[in-house]
Amino acid sequence: MDDFLIGAAQIFTFATLAYMLAGSVAGILAAAIPGFTVTMAIVLTLPLTFAMEPLQGIAVMLSVYVGGYTGGLISAALLGIPGTPSSVATTFDAFPMARNGEPGRALSIGVWASFFGTVISTIVLIFAAPPLALFAVRLGPWEYFSLIVFALTIVGSLVGSSVIRGMLAGLVGLAISTVGTDPMLGRPRFDFGIEMLQTGFPFLVVLIGIFAISQLVAEVEDANKVRSGNPLVTGAIDFQTWKVMKEVLMRPLNLVRSATIGVLIGALPGAGGSIANLVAYDQAKRASKHPENFGKGEADGIVASEAGNSATAGGGLIPLIGLGIPGSAVDAILMASLMVHGISVGPRLILDNGDLVYGMFIAMAVSSLMMLVVAVFSMRLFLRVTEVPKWLIVPVVMTCCVVGTFALNNRVTDLYLLIFIGIVGYTMRALGYPLAPLVLGVILGPIAETNLRRALMTDSDLSLFLTRPISLIFLTAALLSIAWAIRSHLKNRKTAERSSDAPAS
Amino acid sequence: MRRVGPDEAKEAGEIARLLSYAVILLASFGLFFAATDIPVSRFEKLGSGAFPQIVFAAIAFVAAIAIIDALRKIPGPAYGRFVAVTGAWVRRRYLVFIILGTLALYILAIPITGFSFASFVFVFAVQVILMPRRTKSVVIAFIIALIFSFGLNGLFAEVFTVFLPRGVF
Repeated sequence: MDDFLIGAAQIFTFATLAYMLAGSVAGILAAAIPGFTVTMAIVLTLPLTFAMEPLQGIAVMLSVYVGGYTGGLISAALLGIPGTPSSVATTFDAFPMARNGEPGRALSIGVWASFFGTVISTIVLIFAAPPLALFAVRLGPWEYFSLIVFALTIVGSLVGSSVIRGMLAGLVGLAISTVGTDPMLGRPRFDFGIEMLQTGFPFLVVLIGIFAISQLVAEVEDANKVRSGNPLVTGAIDFQTWKVMKEVLMRPLNLVRSATIGVLIGALPGAGGSIANLVAYDQAKRASKHPENFGKGEADGIVASEAGNSATAGGGLIPLIGLGIPGSAVDAILMASLMVHGISVGPRLILDNGDLVYGMFIAMAVSSLMMLVVAVFSMRLFLRVTEVPKWLIVPVVMTCCVVGTFALNNRVTDLYLLIFIGIVGYTMRALGYPLAPLVLGVILGPIAETNLRRALMTDSDLSLFLTRPISLIFLTAALLSIAWAIRSHLKNRKTAERSSDAPAS
Repeated sequence: MRRVGPDEAKEAGEIARLLSYAVILLASFGLFFAATDIPVSRFEKLGSGAFPQIVFAAIAFVAAIAIIDALRKIPGPAYGRFVAVTGAWVRRRYLVFIILGTLALYILAIPITGFSFASFVFVFAVQVILMPRRTKSVVIAFIIALIFSFGLNGLFAEVFTVFLPRGVF
């Protein structure tokens, strides 16, 4: 309790709160620009926190992080481009809802769901962090590998109109991740003597190229529409803040389920918001009485994705605090900032720096409240992007993508990869391949490979993947998700055939 | 221009997808065998080439199923119409190819002319290509191009200490 109060005292100072507010606005703005990810915003924030107290610095970065999840929602809903991989599933329903003339409602639902997701995850963290951390410790490489197989089959079967193209896209993503040095021994693979391939495809470049460039190019497909000078999103933006809050709270089961999924997945090192939003969306779709509405602007879809991804921000702190293993790129930066202040991150963190850990939990809750206040009162300002015509936004966002890609590693060669990946992304989009599984494959590939090889180095017996119960559960779930997807695909096809036969009969 | 019916467009789409499956299948075969050449380590069971082999074998398997499925769906006469229908599709989307080409030129120009100048030309040119041309729009486009080229460069250099390419001149 002492640690809790000391942590709270450090957070509730004017300077810390002011920095956090600035961080929250910066996070929302940064992630709202496609190509300028929340990870990059946090990387740019890191040097600014060196001069601060450790908890103050972490609190600012957490507010950028929490704000960033909401920023990702803005571009996901209005442009159909996930600002971060965590808002991939948000595009499925928020974008159609915005295109159907309800952009304000789509954003409000997302903001409230994010807020409740973060709050629920913080409550869960405070009460359940120790047992969850103990569960995560028990997972070996077998379970991690099976979890990734499960995550990929879900993604492959979940998005797009074809299970086969979804699976192919996920596998192509895994294949892309094998280019460059191998994650265990550092041996070069598939670089074909080309220097820029030696380090592999940086996943943020793939993300920007696949999602941002291909989406921006797709925006100019219809020459007449572009030349008309119409804005990207039409329809009045009406937030209906309190009405939507009630609407979100009327879905308590979906909120709690998605937030719990977010916390659990966030607690697993390596798995983060990028998986949680899709798993939460999938579960919401399966539990819904109207699964056919998903993908067409269903509020439950937005709630699930946003509550799920925001809850991982809290869940991701568990392995970081409990094990010293960052769950995501952002957690790795948070860890780096703690290390800069001379704090060793590992199992002893909670024992030696309890005030810091509780302070982090409090900072999470405060950040989500700040994000909510900033979003509710100033979203209108951020939304000026919707009044901008396509002819202006396309080249400007493309330039931001180019700057974002370059600034990640200060490499011009990344720009060549960007245009290559952008063309591939557009081709795949035009051919009806879903793009989310591909990006997920690229992120999860090295984790899958490392764990598979680690598992077999520990024990060469392959049957362990099936005899370890948690691994078996994940693999069974993977099989079931494919079977379910094929079944619903066949069912849809039959329905379509019947309806096309109907006029003739 | 020849009008393309929805069924013809759908069939042409299926053929294009069939071609993509074939390309993926061939590439996965080639890369599978390239992966077999990666030397194994004596310190572990799998080695650097094993995971890629598993992935490429899985791709080949799924692509083969996709090809069989696609062949079943496409009627014979559709192949004869494919080139004409695809040509019409490409012509309808001419702006996409112009924008992709301009983006490629822009990226190639950045290391030579520097970020600011290349971005100014790119942002201004693409806006002019896409916009309904009116004096007011052109003025706005000019100002936007200035902000998102020289302005963006200044912001990154001064605030974030990220120095964008300056070019060789």
